[in-house]
Amino acid sequence: MRLAEALLALFRVLVYIFLLAPIAVVVLASFNAGNFLTFPPQGLSLRWFVTFLQNDVFIDAIVYSAVLAALATAVSLVIGTMAALYYVRHAGKEAETVRVLLLLPLILPEILTAIALLFFFYQIGVGLEHRIALFTGHVLMTLPFVFLNVTTSLQGRDEACELAARSLGASRMTAFRRVTLPLIAPGLATGGVFAFIISFDTFGISFILKGTGSAPLPIQLYDYLRFNFTPEAAAVSTVSIIFTLAAVVVADRLFGRKG
Amino acid sequence: MTEVSLLSLVKSYGGAPALRGISLSVGHGQFVSLLGPSGCGKSTTLRCIAGFEEVTDGRILFDGKDISRKLPEKRDIGMVFQSYALFPHLTVAQNLAFGLEMRKVPKAQIAERVARTLDLVQLTPYAERYPKALSGGQQQRVALGRALVIEPAILLLDEPLANLDAKLRDEMRGFIRDLQKRVGITTIYVTHDQNEAMTMSDLVVVMFDGAIAQAGTPEEIYNTPSTEAVARFVGNANILDLPAANPGAGTIDLTLPGGASLTIPAPEKPAARLGIMARPEQIALTGAGQGHLGGRVTRRLFGGGYIDYEIATDFGVLAVQTPANVLADEGQAVGLLLDPARLWPVARDAAA
Repeated sequence: MRLAEALLALFRVLVYIFLLAPIAVVVLASFNAGNFLTFPPQGLSLRWFVTFLQNDVFIDAIVYSAVLAALATAVSLVIGTMAALYYVRHAGKEAETVRVLLLLPLILPEILTAIALLFFFYQIGVGLEHRIALFTGHVLMTLPFVFLNVTTSLQGRDEACELAARSLGASRMTAFRRVTLPLIAPGLATGGVFAFIISFDTFGISFILKGTGSAPLPIQLYDYLRFNFTPEAAAVSTVSIIFTLAAVVVADRLFGRKG
Repeated sequence: MTEVSLLSLVKSYGGAPALRGISLSVGHGQFVSLLGPSGCGKSTTLRCIAGFEEVTDGRILFDGKDISRKLPEKRDIGMVFQSYALFPHLTVAQNLAFGLEMRKVPKAQIAERVARTLDLVQLTPYAERYPKALSGGQQQRVALGRALVIEPAILLLDEPLANLDAKLRDEMRGFIRDLQKRVGITTIYVTHDQNEAMTMSDLVVVMFDGAIAQAGTPEEIYNTPSTEAVARFVGNANILDLPAANPGAGTIDLTLPGGASLTIPAPEKPAARLGIMARPEQIALTGAGQGHLGGRVTRRLFGGGYIDYEIATDFGVLAVQTPANVLADEGQAVGLLLDPARLWPVARDAAA
């Protein structure tokens, strides 16, 4: 028994190391004083963070990615919530079909979705103009996460609550705003955080659909690493990790313990 | 106070209709129960009245005004759900205030009416609690208070006691009945429990298969059911196939085995096949060889204040309920005494 527990504990530690070590290496490497991306770092310094903050390309990319992720998340939250409401409350016999269709972007390889969108947008004559294709791709990629989380929080809830609100004089919209929305807030928060992180992180979709001009952060990093191998890339990664963690912490503080 | 009329309501979901022409009128301040097994259409009827279901055909009148096409929020109803459907993110007081806010009642008045209603449902000390922190019975009273505080035209209750344990259910039955009389609100109550329907209602409406089988006072439904199915649903019933003479002439002459005859009132509508209903407590036990029928005790169940006997007779096994001091042993031969004034002819079910 003792041995089994000890082994399990060891296994847990190994899993965490496996998951977190690469992140730790990147963060540590960003404090490298040397000229090359190496590990262990050759001396500690913040010089690469300074370099990064003075590099408009990366700053632009981070802002670009953050704005793209925020907009894609907002649109996904609206569409995903509507889809979840339909799926849980009204879909009936078509429920399974609806669910599978909405989850397709999650099931299919990202690159397939990207190529399909590329064909589609050229076919309708829009091409990669105005970042419409890129934006659509990001919404598609993030939609399943909102849909799944809102669905879960809706399924635990009684439709009678909405009917009760109606019987008390609330219109459909008011009932949604005053009763349904507060009840699914935790699902919206979790779904929103996931959506934001996925959009902020995703590579394949952005790579294929980005078009010309400024690019999201993962693409910019990739471009940079093809020709440079300085710790600046690690500094950029560290900042983007902090971004992501902040989003999770904020959402958890706001909604995590309720419901 | 409001009168409610249902005029040949039909509800169909494409297949067999769920409601097949429900007509009913509920008077000012009446307490009406829709009683029936699950799937009989009682809840669908209630949802149509509330506006959660659109009627396929027919009309619903509140005080003569047709409201069947109105949205639920425009109907002025108070509804209590089986699950209570309290808003979990709002306190008890906020739950009660919700309907008043929707009606744009001024703040000061809301506070006052909520306080008054909390007092009515005996929940004043719990005003600031969340529903989660309340017992089932308390949640039930919040649901009642939330429905009543808006002073709706009618009160609809959908199996409100189904989720409570037996003791609490009895308590709440009395509570709801008293409250309804005190407020004087027209009330429609859906239940599958004949005991609830009988004890609480002014009018009981028995429904089977999307149609009304019989509507009447609890006494009428219990003592003079129109069909065998109604007789059996609202209580234990013995149905005897007795030879009957000149049915339809106001009275019926029954011939009992052994040649004795009894005269009982005839049903209003002649039925293809009549059975004679005798409730278990309307049959008395007497000595062997006496009474109208002879039989043998096959089972005796002591129920405290009464005893349930099962007695094998020429008409099959009959249920007889006697006071606890009437004793007969299992296996003993007994005589059964029928009460002609309480026998009632019912239409036998086609399948029987």
